[in-house]
Amino acid sequence: MIIIGERINGMFKDVAKAIRERDAGVIHEWARRQEKNGARYLDLNVGPSSAEPVEAMKWLVEVTQEASNLPLCLDSTKYDAIEAGLKLCKRPAMINSVPAEAAKMERVFAMAAEHNAEVICLAMNEEGIPKDAENRVALAMELVATADAFGVAPDMLFIDPLVLPCNVAQDHGKEVMETMRQIKLLSDPPPKTVVGLSNVSQGTKNRELINRIFAVMAMACGLDAAIADACDDELMAAVATARILLNMDIYCDSYIDVFKQG
Amino acid sequence: MAVEIQKEKYRSKVGEVVLGATREQGGTRSHTITVGGESALPYLHFEGEIPNRPVVALEVWDMVPEEWNDCFKQYYGDVFNDPAAWAKKCVDEYGADLILVRLKSADPDLKGSSPENCAATVQKVLGAVGVPLVVIGCGNNEKDNLLYPVVAEAATGENLLLGVAEQQNYKAITSACMAYKHNVIAQSPIDINICKQLNILIAEMSTAMANRIVIDPTIAALGYGIEYSYSIMERARNGALQGDKMLAMPMICNVGQEVWKTKEANLPVAEEPGWGEQEERGVMWEAMTATAYLQAGMNVLILRHPRALALVKQNIADLMKSNSY
Amino acid sequence: MGLTGLEIYKHLPKTNCKECGSPTCLAFAMALAGGKASLDACPHVSDEAKAALDSASAPPIKLVKVGAGDWVVELGDETELFRHDKRFFHPAGIAVLISDTEDVAAKADAFEKLEFTRVGQRYAVNMAAVKCASGDAAKFKAAVETVAGKTKKALILIAEDPVVMEAGLAAAADRKPLVYAATAGNYEKMVELAKSKGCPLAVKGKDLEETAALVEKVTALGYKELVLDSGARETSKVLADLTQIRRLAVRKRFRPFGYPAIAFTDKDDPREEVVQAGVYLSKYAGIIVLKAFEQQQLLPLLSWRQNLYTDPQKPIQVEAKLYQIGDAGPEAPVYCTTNFSLTYFIVQGEVENTRIPSHILSVDTGGISVLTAYADNKFSAETISAAMKKAGLDEKIKHRKIVIPGHVAVLKGKLEEASGWEVMVGPREASGINKFAKEKFA
Repeated sequence: MIIIGERINGMFKDVAKAIRERDAGVIHEWARRQEKNGARYLDLNVGPSSAEPVEAMKWLVEVTQEASNLPLCLDSTKYDAIEAGLKLCKRPAMINSVPAEAAKMERVFAMAAEHNAEVICLAMNEEGIPKDAENRVALAMELVATADAFGVAPDMLFIDPLVLPCNVAQDHGKEVMETMRQIKLLSDPPPKTVVGLSNVSQGTKNRELINRIFAVMAMACGLDAAIADACDDELMAAVATARILLNMDIYCDSYIDVFKQG
Repeated sequence: MAVEIQKEKYRSKVGEVVLGATREQGGTRSHTITVGGESALPYLHFEGEIPNRPVVALEVWDMVPEEWNDCFKQYYGDVFNDPAAWAKKCVDEYGADLILVRLKSADPDLKGSSPENCAATVQKVLGAVGVPLVVIGCGNNEKDNLLYPVVAEAATGENLLLGVAEQQNYKAITSACMAYKHNVIAQSPIDINICKQLNILIAEMSTAMANRIVIDPTIAALGYGIEYSYSIMERARNGALQGDKMLAMPMICNVGQEVWKTKEANLPVAEEPGWGEQEERGVMWEAMTATAYLQAGMNVLILRHPRALALVKQNIADLMKSNSY
Repeated sequence: MGLTGLEIYKHLPKTNCKECGSPTCLAFAMALAGGKASLDACPHVSDEAKAALDSASAPPIKLVKVGAGDWVVELGDETELFRHDKRFFHPAGIAVLISDTEDVAAKADAFEKLEFTRVGQRYAVNMAAVKCASGDAAKFKAAVETVAGKTKKALILIAEDPVVMEAGLAAAADRKPLVYAATAGNYEKMVELAKSKGCPLAVKGKDLEETAALVEKVTALGYKELVLDSGARETSKVLADLTQIRRLAVRKRFRPFGYPAIAFTDKDDPREEVVQAGVYLSKYAGIIVLKAFEQQQLLPLLSWRQNLYTDPQKPIQVEAKLYQIGDAGPEAPVYCTTNFSLTYFIVQGEVENTRIPSHILSVDTGGISVLTAYADNKFSAETISAAMKKAGLDEKIKHRKIVIPGHVAVLKGKLEEASGWEVMVGPREASGINKFAKEKFA
């Protein structure tokens, strides 16, 4: 599993302030710290309250690329902002995200095909998030088939089965993990899977512990990526260890450092 | 149904290591040799680059190798006493790409030659041939640790490949290589985990050394566990291509040494009439062992018999021909 | 990997009739992909779809048999690209060429001598390829008859003229030889011949593309006992084609390549041929045909075949007994180690290097290494002393000293008690044996 560093997000006060004041230093610092600690992509989100999402995204993309060579994950519900950002990316990026809704899929997959971008696809539609694995997989299938029609191969997709906080929707956890397993049977090559890791622990105590345990359980179900806090050392150590136990990396005594260095 | 050619997309490639240095580069070699750099599985030119062909070394000792099979006398008997002449013969007559000098005589149980004597031998061989050198110690850690700095200094600028670093004994040799700018052989005992860890330990001493490592995964001869080392090498090479930087080094192995320990290479035909003639059997045992390791991704092969060398070089030339679709 | 949900879904009627018990066709497809349902549950699936799904769920590479009786060669049914991922299952057939223009009887006699015993195992060149070089059907028939009379091993008949092939088959059809080969020019007649005699058939194209097309034509005639020849003969080209055939069959379930492949060496020098064959053996050839005929040339190739096809999950054992290294008599030193082959061979190599005739007692640890066996109580004072008794050490050896690996030095006291022998603690690693022996035994 790879980590998409979540920290450059306008939800965090320091980042929101940096975006407002165009203070590149803060962004550089977070880009470097996340990369150094093992992030493989950097998620960029201008935040929900940004007054000028397109310009803010363009600035974030340019400034982040000054400090890191990692591929970017452009995170916005405003597709104009994503499109403007994609044009500035020096290497193929990831679009975050699209639900299984016709109009949105059309816009996003066309954009992805043009920019050779990967896409995070949400297992939900106008009706919301299904409860059981079967219906989540059905939406995943719809996403895969539509992407295919736009010339976006299944392995360019990261399906997010959408995990909910374990204190409000405890029954979803198992379904999400079953979804991850079944998604691997969808196509050959199969789509990849991703979760927004911190969602699972929203509003709970022991957030880090819950995130960490969920991450390794989901990895055992085939999870490929997580948007998460790359600066959480315990999480990174747990992920590195799970990769060893799943025979994804070759063991050596310094395997945690090796994982972080990529 | 049309055939859709299957090409693997790899994230990474094997690092390149340059061996030897010319006069312009501060050494005295007639040319340098670059090993590694491939971005595809062995000889699958259709899916990536294989920029440097594997190279073949012959082994030269600094003392008469009494235990070698008698069949070697007709090739080296006249030069066994003179490492420089021996090396020259290997290059000029037998076509070795490079020479491995084994400083066997330093072994306290044998002659116990001094580090200075060993350095002088290396210098003589450097004077006799233009190809890059691989130099390895006698196998006694204590003695070898005294040897490395002296030999490394005497060969300053020559960009040797010096060996061997092991997990329990890597600091002295790595320091010598760092100080005098040589490459190092990192040897692990048929164990991929130690192989990776040793590379990390060396890289921790110096990041520059990380790009100067050649892995010796230790091998077994055909019939003596070759399949273990073959699979370890295949795993290491797959790991390297998939982005494991701590396994992405070129690999070296001493085929000659392992093969000529075996019964199959040495037993006279009178003792096993059903196995065919002895010398050619040994040559073929060596060539077949090398052939298998080339298919697992080996970059530098050390051989002993000139006829095996000729067969292996022909095989390499054949494998390096394009097979793009 | 089996069929994916998407692939299965494409073949389903997409009516969501629920008669299969699943709420939707998609759900049913996912259940099939997961192996939790059978296609029979769908009452509306078409016969075409059924056939397509059936063939797609067959093993990636068909098992094909050549020969009859004790020497049947089973080929194919492979599932891996790397032996470390699971294992390679069916060792390649190794064939030597006998041409009908040579002294066929002498060659066939020599062929029977290409059998070896090594480390207690029998290896053999297990196929003879009889080739029509004369162009003469009668001569070919006579040659096949001669070879078939002298060996029971599997045969390959090589002739591209169906008339010649028919003559050859008349002499040996009951031996189920591989008929080589159907080409674009002759395939209809070759298929008819192979089919009527129940013999496997090689399909030879000019390249991968033509080979695939030809296989489809042959299977359309209803014959599937096939072996593939992509036509390539240069080393690197053959390597590429064999790799593509294996990858396409295993990873993509590309049906035209779902058969074992045959490779021919093209070198003139037999030693170069053997090296070339070593490349093809390593990378996926099902049969390799070569001209080399000398024992010392073929033994290494057969040994590589034996090693490559071992099961990586299973430790390889040597026989647990007392081994004699050199001319070791009752006064010679005795070492002991486990019967894990890698451990034993390393110790054996080092003991040989000492040039001191010695004995090695290999203790049955179920084929695991010294430390693992020690931890598992399989390399203990009890097991070692039992092995010493079983091997008759008390009778065979005059002195009463045995060397144990340095890693299990703690066994010294107990083993001395149990065996009555003096226990010498050897070096921790085999590489120290030479020095140890020089100090203690020289």
